[in-house]
Amino acid sequence: MSMKNYAVLAQDHVKVDSLEKVMGTAKFAADYKMPDMLYGGVFRSTVPHAYVKKLNMEKARALPGVACVLDHTAIPGKNRFGIIFKDEPCLVDDKVRRYGDAIAVVAAETPELVHEALGLIEVEYEELEAISTFERAMEEDSPKVHGNTNVNVTKHLEYGNVDEAWEKCDVIVENTYSTHILSHMFIEPDAGIAYLDEQGIMNVIVSTQNPHYDRNEVAAMLGVPQNRVRVKQAVTGGGFGGKLDISVQLHCALMALYTKRPVKMVRSRSESTMVSSKRHPVTMKCKTGATKDGKLVAVDCYMTCDAGAYSSYAPAVIGRAPVHIVGPYECPNVRCHAVFAYTNNPMCGAFRGFGVPQAAVCHEGQMNALAKALNMSPLEIRMINAHHVGSVIPTGQELTESVGFLDTLTQARDKAAEVMPEALDRLMKTEEGGL
Amino acid sequence: MNKITVHCTVNHKPVAVEIDPNKRLLDMLREDLNLTSVKEGCSEGECGACTVIFNGEPVTSCCVLAGQAEGADIITLEGVSVDGKPDVVQQAFMDAGAVQCGFCTPGMILTAEALLAKNPAPTEEEVKQAMSGNLCRCTGYAKIVEAVLLAAERARGGV
Repeated sequence: MSMKNYAVLAQDHVKVDSLEKVMGTAKFAADYKMPDMLYGGVFRSTVPHAYVKKLNMEKARALPGVACVLDHTAIPGKNRFGIIFKDEPCLVDDKVRRYGDAIAVVAAETPELVHEALGLIEVEYEELEAISTFERAMEEDSPKVHGNTNVNVTKHLEYGNVDEAWEKCDVIVENTYSTHILSHMFIEPDAGIAYLDEQGIMNVIVSTQNPHYDRNEVAAMLGVPQNRVRVKQAVTGGGFGGKLDISVQLHCALMALYTKRPVKMVRSRSESTMVSSKRHPVTMKCKTGATKDGKLVAVDCYMTCDAGAYSSYAPAVIGRAPVHIVGPYECPNVRCHAVFAYTNNPMCGAFRGFGVPQAAVCHEGQMNALAKALNMSPLEIRMINAHHVGSVIPTGQELTESVGFLDTLTQARDKAAEVMPEALDRLMKTEEGGL
Repeated sequence: MNKITVHCTVNHKPVAVEIDPNKRLLDMLREDLNLTSVKEGCSEGECGACTVIFNGEPVTSCCVLAGQAEGADIITLEGVSVDGKPDVVQQAFMDAGAVQCGFCTPGMILTAEALLAKNPAPTEEEVKQAMSGNLCRCTGYAKIVEAVLLAAERARGGV
């Protein structure tokens, strides 16, 4: 690779905001304080699936120092939000769909009073069967989390002719892979502050990855045009996809509207972990065939996922995972059918890679299995099938430039020979090899 | 609840703060003294974001009652910089690219300061040991370790 003299690449630059960050002056959402500010908190469900029969907020409202206690009836605009499908309530109206659903919000003079008021709210549930697996969600007699089906979203990828391809295969391997649900665990718990300014514009300063989306949702919930809402991203302490969804924005804005005072909300670690989005746990039942010299011929995968109580980014994740099901390898015949289901588990959403890391567990496992079946080294079978300029991927797209995979593999192999010869030796063995 | 008054030294200045006796040191620093560089990440001493230097030792301030700070000498990130400019550790974190989202950075820098005050020439292993109570979720730790070693080298006049 020729080394040109680039303006940015291969140059040392000090990160633009690192001075404030090392000096401790960078202002994160929880660092904001405003005169006359209230603190907010959320009364959350302690059951995963239930109708709310009774909700008594009077004792909490009567506590001195409590400025407001609000349920869904206080929402002036829309009580449904979501990055793609609008299926999540700001405050529960019809039923609870997961442990931790927001039922009511409290604003008070101190965090201690918020805590005390939350403890005075009484709720009575009529519990429903909780759907906690994909399999149960798909059964005909299962209760439905939303509407009349638990199918959240499906996707089908068909490329080449998989059914006719199997007879061209010398070896076929079939395996099932499951990945687990995962929390981003961004180091800064979600936080924000909302206030009405002199022009009556609702301002929300928040730890977020998605301020424009946040503005749209706050405006819809308040029932006002978007130009009546301003969202400012505070310095944000990590997100990794977990701060693309709504966290405190709507609740802060709703309480600021009612109290006409700034309302700040800071989630505890446990609250943040409970209700922020998660990585989709995906199960992939995969059949892969190759010729005896190691060339991939066909891949057929059935992909299922428990996507949790709300859609969040599931429609995007289900678009990415199937198209990556063969990974960075050439394969002329590919089928992937994916079904994501609603359950009463935590909501899954965007998480670094959007389903692609899950697919990698499958395609890399299958490459190792093929290598073993063909008595080849795991590295060799990857090099035989690696994408290069001119490769066509299962979407039909031809890769016309910048395909560095083979170079990377070659250089990694050479470097490994230099610094970790024993590990490379193991990798090159056909028996116990694996990446 | 009867309030108590805590007398201690914070960032080289003596202070007396009237607080509820159940208040955490973290909250006293953030709320009463407005030292918001002290971050709350987990509230149970796991993540290290709320680290302060407490009598020379890095301590998670979420696990210390403010009353326990009576007579203590406490340094937060606000007390590290020199005349409003980054000190050698802060500068090294910038130069080594050891800062990403910045939320763990205050705790990281203070742990590094406490280490270097005792051990001006730590090995890489000693740096890793010392920093092991501070979690970073963005960068990984390679550049953070590099920054601490760079700061040590510069402080000794090496670079």
